[in-house]
Amino acid sequence: MKRRGEDRGAQTWLRVDAAACDGIGLCAHLTPSAVELDRWGFPVIVGRELDRGEVSAARRAVRACPRKALWLETTPAPAPAPTHAWPPMVAPPVS
Amino acid sequence: MTLDRTAWMTPERTELLNQPLTESTTLLLHSVRLGRSGSADPWELAATENLVDHTVRLGARPRGTADLIDAIERAELTGHGGAHVPVALKWRAALRPGGPLTIAANGAESEPLSAKDATLMRQRPHLVLDGLALAAEALGARRAVLWLHGDDTGTLYAMQSALTQRRSARSPEPWLEVVNGPGHYLAGESSAIGRALNGGPTLPTARPRQGAPTDGPRSLVHNVETLARVALIARGLPPVRAALRTVLTPVDRQVIEVDDGTPATEVLARTGWLHGGPPQAVLLGGFGGMWAPWLDIEGSTFDEVSLKAAGLSIGAGIIAPLPRGACGVAETAEIAGYLAGMSARQCGPCLFGLPALAQSMRLLADGTAPRGEQARLLDDLRTVAGRGACHHPDGATRLIASALATFEHDFTEHAHGRACNGSRRLTLPVPAVAR
Repeated sequence: MKRRGEDRGAQTWLRVDAAACDGIGLCAHLTPSAVELDRWGFPVIVGRELDRGEVSAARRAVRACPRKALWLETTPAPAPAPTHAWPPMVAPPVS
Repeated sequence: MTLDRTAWMTPERTELLNQPLTESTTLLLHSVRLGRSGSADPWELAATENLVDHTVRLGARPRGTADLIDAIERAELTGHGGAHVPVALKWRAALRPGGPLTIAANGAESEPLSAKDATLMRQRPHLVLDGLALAAEALGARRAVLWLHGDDTGTLYAMQSALTQRRSARSPEPWLEVVNGPGHYLAGESSAIGRALNGGPTLPTARPRQGAPTDGPRSLVHNVETLARVALIARGLPPVRAALRTVLTPVDRQVIEVDDGTPATEVLARTGWLHGGPPQAVLLGGFGGMWAPWLDIEGSTFDEVSLKAAGLSIGAGIIAPLPRGACGVAETAEIAGYLAGMSARQCGPCLFGLPALAQSMRLLADGTAPRGEQARLLDDLRTVAGRGACHHPDGATRLIASALATFEHDFTEHAHGRACNGSRRLTLPVPAVAR
C-alpha cells in the first residue's frame, strides 16, 4: 500500500511540537541520524529533508512518541518536466 | 429629530474646524513625558479627544468597504506592532474563505519600556476605535475586540469612556468589545491574543501543524497605531510619513512622533539626549529587540527601512540609548534574567535554555565566569534559537547575540575576570521578576 506523501521525489521533513514535547528522548534513539538531544534532553532535528532510510525510522519515532509531539511533513515533488511540446507550458508566477 | 447643530460649536471647536485637514494627520495631540518605568501615566495632564472634537477634526467615519484595502496598499501601510508586515497582505489573507473572523486591536504593550500605544489610546481613543470598526466592516468580521494589557488601568478607563460616548451617539458601527487581558510579558503577542479570544490560554505559538483544520475560528491582530492610520487613510487623508516612538532618556521616557527621515541625532537631541555626550549604543525595540552601536546609527535615521538595510529593526518603536560609562554586558544580563523569568513555560528550549543563557550572562557580567563560559553561551544560543514553541526564546537569543557583537570588547574583558564598574550602576529600568 502506498502511503500518502511517498511519491517519488517528495521531500519529507521531521517536525516536533516543542510545546507538546517533554524531552523523553525516544526519538533520538530511534532516528539517531536525524535527531540529537540538546544538553537538557530535548530533541534537535536536522535541518534537512530525510532520506529514504531515515523516513521509515522517523515514522517509528512518530509512532513511539508518548506525547505525540512528532510528525512528518511532506513538501510536494517538483512538477515533472513536460514530455511533449503542446500545449505550450506557461511558467508559473514567481511567488 | 431635530438637532441644534451649533450648540457645541464653541470658539475653540470652530477654530478646529477651520484648520486644514493635512495638519490633523499627525497621530498624537502632543508629546508626553512619563516615568522611566511602570504605567503609561504622563507627568503632565494630557487631553483626551472626545467624540465631538474627533468628528469635528476629521469628519464622520466612512464605512469600511473592500476598496479600503486598495487605499491601504497605495499608502504602503505596514504594521506598527514590531513585525512591520504590510497591512494589505494581512487583509487579503483574512478575506480568503475560512472560519469566523475576529479582529483584535492590540493595545497591550508588553515591552516594559514601551508607552506609545497607551499614549495614543489615551489621547485619541476614537481614532483607534474608528480603525477597528473600519477593519471589522471591510473584512466582514464576526467580532471586533480591543485587547488591553491587564495592568493598564488609565488606558482602560479612557477606552471605556470613549466607547460609552460612541454608544450614546448611536452611530451605526459594529459592536466593539474591550477585553482586559493578563499583564504578562507575552500577553501582547499576537498569537497569544488569537488563542485567548478563541477560548484558549493566553500563550503564544509559532506555527501550526501541517494538516491542522483550517475552518476553525481565525483572528487578525493589528497594533492600535496601525488601526489609527487605517482610520486616517479611510478618510482619504495623505498617508502619515511618521511613527510613534518611545525614547528612554536618563531622567524620563518620552513618547514622540518622529517624521520619516529625521536624523537619529535630531531625535536624541529633541528628547534632551546629547547634553552629556552621545550614547555608546542603542537598544532598539526593547527587551526583545537588539543592541546596535551608536556609530552605526549616528549618521542614519530610526526609520525601519534604513535600519533594515543595516540588519537592524526598530521593533515596536522603542529607542533606549545606553550612556557612556554604563556596561552593556551587565545591562544585557539583567534583561536576560527578566526574559527567562517571563517564559511561557511551554517548551524545553525556553524553560531550560533561557535560564541557562541568563546564568551565563550573569557570570560574565560579574566577572566570575569559568574559562570557556563565553563559548558555552554561544553554543547555547545556537541550540535555543528557532526551536521554541513560540518566538519568545528567539527574542532573547537575538538580544544576547546583538550584545555579543556590540559590546565585543567588554565581553572579552569580563570573560577574563575584569568586570567593570558599570555592573553596579545599571541604567535600564528592568522590572524585577520572581523566579
